[in-house]
Amino acid sequence: MRKLLFLFLFLAALFLANTAAAQKFFTRDAKVKFNSDTPMEKIEAVNKSASCLLDTQSGKMAWKVLMKGFQFEKALMQEHFNENYVESSQYPNATFEGEIVNLKDINFSQDGKYNAITKGKMTIHGVTKDVEMPGVIKVSGGTVTLNSNFTLVCADYDIKIPAVVRDNIAKEIKVMVEGVLKPK
Amino acid sequence: MKKILLVLLALALVGGSVGYYLWNKPHENIRSAKTDMAIDAAQLFQEYNVDETASNAKYLEKTIAVSGKVKEVTKEEGSVKVALETGNEFGVLCVLDEFSSHPRTDFPVGETVTFKGKCSGLNFDVQIDRCVEVK
Repeated sequence: MRKLLFLFLFLAALFLANTAAAQKFFTRDAKVKFNSDTPMEKIEAVNKSASCLLDTQSGKMAWKVLMKGFQFEKALMQEHFNENYVESSQYPNATFEGEIVNLKDINFSQDGKYNAITKGKMTIHGVTKDVEMPGVIKVSGGTVTLNSNFTLVCADYDIKIPAVVRDNIAKEIKVMVEGVLKPK
Repeated sequence: MKKILLVLLALALVGGSVGYYLWNKPHENIRSAKTDMAIDAAQLFQEYNVDETASNAKYLEKTIAVSGKVKEVTKEEGSVKVALETGNEFGVLCVLDEFSSHPRTDFPVGETVTFKGKCSGLNFDVQIDRCVEVK
Protein backbone atom coordinates (compact mmCIF):
# COMPACT_ATOMS: atom_id res chain seq x y z
CA MET A 1 0.00 0.00 0.00
CA ARG A 2 2.79 2.41 0.95
CA LYS A 3 4.69 1.50 -2.18
CA LEU A 4 1.68 2.46 -4.30
CA LEU A 5 1.31 5.76 -2.52
CA PHE A 6 4.98 6.53 -2.97
CA LEU A 7 4.78 5.64 -6.65
CA PHE A 8 1.72 7.81 -7.07
CA LEU A 9 3.38 10.80 -5.37
CA PHE A 10 6.51 10.34 -7.44
CA LEU A 11 4.56 10.26 -10.70
CA ALA A 12 2.47 13.23 -9.65
CA ALA A 13 5.60 15.23 -8.84
CA LEU A 14 7.13 14.30 -12.19
CA PHE A 15 3.98 15.30 -14.04
CA LEU A 16 3.74 18.66 -12.24
CA ALA A 17 7.41 19.40 -12.81
CA ASN A 18 6.99 18.72 -16.50
CA THR A 19 3.93 20.81 -17.11
CA ALA A 20 5.26 23.79 -15.21
CA ALA A 21 8.83 23.92 -16.45
CA ALA A 22 9.88 22.04 -19.57
CA GLN A 23 7.52 23.10 -22.29
CA LYS A 24 7.79 24.19 -25.87
CA PHE A 25 5.34 26.72 -27.25
CA PHE A 26 4.81 27.32 -30.93
CA THR A 27 2.87 29.29 -33.51
CA ARG A 28 3.05 29.71 -37.25
CA ASP A 29 0.42 32.41 -37.34
CA ALA A 30 2.41 35.18 -35.72
CA LYS A 31 2.10 38.66 -37.13
CA VAL A 32 5.01 40.85 -38.15
CA LYS A 33 4.20 44.36 -39.24
CA PHE A 34 6.57 47.11 -40.23
CA ASN A 35 6.21 50.69 -41.29
CA SER A 36 8.21 53.59 -42.49
CA ASP A 37 6.71 57.03 -42.17
CA THR A 38 8.26 59.98 -43.91
CA PRO A 39 6.74 63.27 -45.06
CA MET A 40 7.13 61.88 -48.59
CA GLU A 41 5.61 58.45 -48.21
CA LYS A 42 3.92 56.06 -45.85
CA ILE A 43 4.97 52.45 -46.27
CA GLU A 44 3.38 49.61 -44.39
CA ALA A 45 3.49 45.84 -44.75
CA VAL A 46 2.21 42.90 -42.76
CA ASN A 47 3.07 39.22 -42.62
CA LYS A 48 0.53 36.99 -40.89
CA SER A 49 2.45 33.72 -41.07
CA ALA A 50 5.59 34.16 -39.02
CA SER A 51 6.64 31.21 -36.90
CA CYS A 52 7.89 31.33 -33.36
CA LEU A 53 9.22 28.57 -31.16
CA LEU A 54 9.77 29.19 -27.46
CA ASP A 55 11.30 26.90 -24.87
CA THR A 56 10.05 28.16 -21.52
CA GLN A 57 12.62 26.16 -19.60
CA SER A 58 15.70 27.61 -21.28
CA GLY A 59 14.12 30.86 -22.45
CA LYS A 60 15.35 30.20 -25.97
CA MET A 61 13.29 31.74 -28.72
CA ALA A 62 13.37 31.44 -32.51
CA TRP A 63 11.39 33.44 -35.04
CA LYS A 64 11.24 32.90 -38.77
CA VAL A 65 9.41 34.91 -41.37
CA LEU A 66 9.22 34.50 -45.15
CA MET A 67 9.97 37.79 -46.92
CA LYS A 68 7.64 36.96 -49.79
CA GLY A 69 4.82 36.69 -47.28
CA PHE A 70 4.83 40.43 -46.54
CA GLN A 71 1.74 42.06 -47.98
CA PHE A 72 1.70 45.64 -49.13
CA GLU A 73 -1.32 47.53 -50.31
CA LYS A 74 0.55 48.73 -53.37
CA ALA A 75 1.73 46.00 -55.75
CA LEU A 76 4.60 48.17 -56.96
CA MET A 77 5.88 48.67 -53.41
CA GLN A 78 5.75 44.92 -52.82
CA GLU A 79 7.71 44.33 -56.01
CA HIS A 80 10.38 46.89 -55.09
CA PHE A 81 10.62 45.50 -51.58
CA ASN A 82 11.21 41.96 -52.84
CA GLU A 83 13.25 42.63 -55.96
CA ASN A 84 15.36 45.65 -55.04
CA TYR A 85 15.52 46.06 -51.28
CA VAL A 86 15.50 42.73 -49.47
CA GLU A 87 16.24 40.65 -52.59
CA SER A 88 13.98 37.89 -51.35
CA SER A 89 14.83 35.50 -54.16
CA GLN A 90 18.33 35.31 -52.71
CA TYR A 91 17.37 35.67 -49.06
CA PRO A 92 13.87 34.25 -48.65
CA ASN A 93 13.77 34.42 -44.84
CA ALA A 94 14.44 36.68 -41.95
CA THR A 95 15.19 34.97 -38.66
CA PHE A 96 15.78 35.76 -35.04
CA GLU A 97 17.49 33.37 -32.67
CA GLY A 98 17.95 34.36 -29.09
CA GLU A 99 16.82 34.02 -25.55
CA ILE A 100 14.96 35.79 -22.80
CA VAL A 101 17.59 37.48 -20.69
CA ASN A 102 15.45 37.90 -17.57
CA LEU A 103 13.89 34.44 -17.63
CA LYS A 104 13.75 34.27 -13.85
CA ASP A 105 11.31 37.21 -13.83
CA ILE A 106 8.77 35.26 -15.85
CA ASN A 107 6.51 32.65 -14.38
CA PHE A 108 5.06 30.63 -17.23
CA SER A 109 2.82 28.73 -14.83
CA GLN A 110 1.09 31.85 -13.61
CA ASP A 111 -1.27 33.94 -15.71
CA GLY A 112 -0.04 37.48 -15.99
CA LYS A 113 1.88 40.03 -18.03
CA TYR A 114 5.65 40.12 -17.76
CA ASN A 115 8.19 42.54 -19.16
CA ALA A 116 10.94 40.66 -20.93
CA ILE A 117 14.25 41.51 -22.55
CA THR A 118 15.28 39.30 -25.43
CA LYS A 119 18.78 39.17 -26.81
CA GLY A 120 20.01 37.34 -29.85
CA LYS A 121 20.93 37.32 -33.51
CA MET A 122 18.73 38.89 -36.16
CA THR A 123 19.38 37.86 -39.76
CA ILE A 124 17.86 39.86 -42.59
CA HIS A 125 19.03 40.04 -46.19
CA GLY A 126 21.81 37.61 -45.34
CA VAL A 127 23.30 39.90 -42.69
CA THR A 128 23.36 38.87 -39.02
CA LYS A 129 23.37 41.42 -36.23
CA ASP A 130 23.32 41.18 -32.45
CA VAL A 131 20.13 42.75 -31.17
CA GLU A 132 18.41 43.27 -27.88
CA MET A 133 14.79 44.26 -27.54
CA PRO A 134 12.12 44.67 -24.92
CA GLY A 135 8.85 42.86 -25.11
CA VAL A 136 5.83 41.76 -23.16
CA ILE A 137 5.02 38.15 -22.40
CA LYS A 138 1.44 37.40 -21.50
CA VAL A 139 0.62 34.05 -19.94
CA SER A 140 -3.05 33.26 -20.10
CA GLY A 141 -5.08 30.07 -20.16
CA GLY A 142 -2.21 27.84 -21.23
CA THR A 143 -1.03 30.09 -24.07
CA VAL A 144 1.91 32.45 -24.21
CA THR A 145 1.50 35.71 -26.13
CA LEU A 146 4.63 37.53 -27.20
CA ASN A 147 4.59 41.17 -28.17
CA SER A 148 7.42 43.45 -29.12
CA ASN A 149 8.00 46.79 -30.78
CA PHE A 150 11.43 47.71 -32.01
CA THR A 151 13.24 49.54 -34.80
CA LEU A 152 15.57 48.34 -37.51
CA VAL A 153 17.98 50.35 -39.58
CA CYS A 154 18.06 49.35 -43.27
CA ALA A 155 21.76 50.09 -43.61
CA ASP A 156 22.56 47.63 -40.80
CA TYR A 157 21.34 44.80 -43.00
CA ASP A 158 22.93 46.04 -46.19
CA ILE A 159 19.55 47.05 -47.59
CA LYS A 160 20.39 49.66 -50.18
CA ILE A 161 18.00 52.52 -50.72
CA PRO A 162 18.64 54.35 -53.99
CA ALA A 163 19.38 58.05 -53.62
CA VAL A 164 16.31 58.98 -55.63
CA VAL A 165 13.96 57.52 -52.98
CA ARG A 166 16.10 58.23 -49.95
CA ASP A 167 13.56 60.71 -48.55
CA ASN A 168 10.70 58.28 -49.08
CA ILE A 169 12.02 55.62 -46.76
CA ALA A 170 12.67 56.18 -43.08
CA LYS A 171 16.15 55.54 -41.70
CA GLU A 172 14.61 53.54 -38.88
CA ILE A 173 11.84 51.11 -39.71
CA LYS A 174 9.32 50.45 -36.97
CA VAL A 175 8.58 46.77 -36.47
CA MET A 176 5.82 45.19 -34.44
CA VAL A 177 5.65 41.47 -33.75
CA GLU A 178 2.87 39.60 -32.06
CA GLY A 179 2.32 35.88 -31.65
CA VAL A 180 0.01 33.67 -29.63
CA LEU A 181 1.96 30.52 -28.90
CA LYS A 182 0.33 27.25 -27.94
CA PRO A 183 1.96 24.24 -26.27
CA LYS A 184 3.67 22.00 -28.77
CA MET B 1 9.35 77.52 -79.28
CA LYS B 2 5.68 76.80 -78.68
CA LYS B 3 6.01 73.44 -80.43
CA ILE B 4 8.83 72.35 -78.11
CA LEU B 5 6.78 73.33 -75.10
CA LEU B 6 3.83 71.33 -76.38
CA VAL B 7 6.00 68.28 -76.99
CA LEU B 8 7.45 68.59 -73.50
CA LEU B 9 3.98 68.92 -72.02
CA ALA B 10 2.81 65.84 -73.92
CA LEU B 11 5.82 63.88 -72.67
CA ALA B 12 5.15 65.04 -69.13
CA LEU B 13 1.55 63.91 -69.37
CA VAL B 14 2.54 60.52 -70.76
CA GLY B 15 5.23 60.16 -68.11
CA GLY B 16 2.80 61.20 -65.42
CA SER B 17 0.16 58.76 -66.61
CA VAL B 18 2.61 55.88 -66.75
CA GLY B 19 3.82 56.78 -63.27
CA TYR B 20 0.27 57.01 -61.97
CA TYR B 21 -0.63 53.66 -63.51
CA LEU B 22 2.45 51.95 -62.06
CA TRP B 23 1.91 53.47 -58.66
CA ASN B 24 -1.65 52.28 -58.53
CA LYS B 25 -1.35 49.06 -60.49
CA PRO B 26 -3.19 46.19 -58.90
CA HIS B 27 -1.60 43.04 -57.57
CA GLU B 28 -1.28 40.36 -60.24
CA ASN B 29 -4.59 38.69 -61.01
CA ILE B 30 -3.83 35.27 -59.58
CA ARG B 31 -7.00 33.69 -60.94
CA SER B 32 -5.93 34.29 -64.52
CA ALA B 33 -2.23 33.68 -63.90
CA LYS B 34 -0.63 30.83 -65.80
CA THR B 35 0.35 27.86 -63.65
CA ASP B 36 4.09 27.22 -63.85
CA MET B 37 3.83 23.74 -62.36
CA ALA B 38 1.37 21.36 -60.73
CA ILE B 39 2.47 19.25 -57.80
CA ASP B 40 1.18 17.07 -55.02
CA ALA B 41 1.46 18.49 -51.47
CA ALA B 42 3.36 15.50 -50.08
CA GLN B 43 5.91 15.62 -52.87
CA LEU B 44 6.44 19.38 -52.55
CA PHE B 45 6.95 19.06 -48.79
CA GLN B 46 9.34 16.16 -49.26
CA GLU B 47 11.45 18.06 -51.80
CA TYR B 48 11.72 21.07 -49.52
CA ASN B 49 12.77 18.97 -46.56
CA VAL B 50 15.43 17.16 -48.54
CA ASP B 51 16.96 20.32 -50.00
CA GLU B 52 15.50 23.74 -49.17
CA THR B 53 17.93 25.70 -51.35
CA ALA B 54 17.37 23.56 -54.44
CA SER B 55 13.61 23.66 -53.87
CA ASN B 56 13.65 27.44 -53.57
CA ALA B 57 15.55 27.67 -56.84
CA LYS B 58 12.86 25.52 -58.40
CA TYR B 59 9.68 26.87 -56.77
CA LEU B 60 10.22 30.25 -55.11
CA GLU B 61 7.90 32.92 -56.51
CA LYS B 62 6.55 30.49 -59.14
CA THR B 63 2.82 30.06 -59.64
CA ILE B 64 2.15 26.56 -58.39
CA ALA B 65 -1.01 24.43 -58.40
CA VAL B 66 -0.73 22.20 -55.32
CA SER B 67 -3.15 19.36 -54.52
CA GLY B 68 -3.74 17.59 -51.27
CA LYS B 69 -6.17 16.56 -48.55
CA VAL B 70 -7.36 19.31 -46.22
CA LYS B 71 -5.83 18.84 -42.77
CA GLU B 72 -6.89 22.04 -41.04
CA VAL B 73 -8.38 25.43 -41.82
CA THR B 74 -7.40 28.46 -39.72
CA LYS B 75 -9.17 31.79 -39.98
CA GLU B 76 -7.55 34.70 -38.27
CA GLU B 77 -7.52 38.48 -38.76
CA GLY B 78 -9.01 38.33 -42.22
CA SER B 79 -6.71 35.61 -43.47
CA VAL B 80 -7.76 32.06 -44.30
CA LYS B 81 -5.09 29.37 -44.23
CA VAL B 82 -5.61 25.81 -45.41
CA ALA B 83 -3.07 23.23 -44.27
CA LEU B 84 -2.68 20.28 -46.64
CA GLU B 85 -1.83 16.83 -45.32
CA THR B 86 1.58 15.36 -46.08
CA GLY B 87 1.66 12.65 -43.43
CA ASN B 88 4.01 14.77 -41.32
CA GLU B 89 3.56 17.18 -38.45
CA PHE B 90 3.87 20.03 -40.95
CA GLY B 91 2.82 20.21 -44.55
CA VAL B 92 1.85 22.70 -47.19
CA LEU B 93 0.15 25.86 -45.97
CA CYS B 94 -2.06 27.57 -48.55
CA VAL B 95 -2.87 31.16 -47.62
CA LEU B 96 -5.93 32.42 -49.46
CA ASP B 97 -5.41 35.53 -51.56
CA GLU B 98 -6.70 38.66 -49.85
CA PHE B 99 -7.03 40.46 -53.18
CA SER B 100 -9.38 37.90 -54.73
CA SER B 101 -12.92 36.89 -53.89
CA HIS B 102 -13.42 33.25 -53.00
CA PRO B 103 -16.56 31.20 -53.74
CA ARG B 104 -15.90 29.28 -50.54
CA THR B 105 -13.65 29.67 -47.51
CA ASP B 106 -14.74 26.55 -45.69
CA PHE B 107 -12.98 23.37 -46.72
CA PRO B 108 -14.01 20.05 -45.15
CA VAL B 109 -11.17 18.15 -43.50
CA GLY B 110 -10.17 15.19 -45.65
CA GLU B 111 -11.41 16.64 -48.93
CA THR B 112 -8.91 16.73 -51.77
CA VAL B 113 -8.45 20.28 -53.01
CA THR B 114 -6.17 22.14 -55.39
CA PHE B 115 -4.89 25.65 -54.81
CA LYS B 116 -3.01 27.89 -57.21
CA GLY B 117 -0.71 30.42 -55.63
CA LYS B 118 2.82 31.74 -55.30
CA CYS B 119 5.41 29.76 -53.40
CA SER B 120 7.02 31.81 -50.64
CA GLY B 121 9.35 29.19 -49.23
CA LEU B 122 9.69 26.96 -46.20
CA ASN B 123 8.72 28.03 -42.69
CA PHE B 124 8.02 24.67 -41.03
CA ASP B 125 5.33 24.31 -43.69
CA VAL B 126 5.88 25.03 -47.35
CA GLN B 127 3.98 28.27 -47.68
CA ILE B 128 1.97 29.13 -50.76
CA ASP B 129 0.62 32.69 -50.67
CA ARG B 130 -2.07 34.41 -52.77
CA CYS B 131 -4.01 31.15 -53.19
CA VAL B 132 -7.22 30.64 -55.09
CA GLU B 133 -8.97 27.32 -55.34
CA VAL B 134 -8.88 25.68 -58.74
CA LYS B 135 -10.62 22.56 -59.89
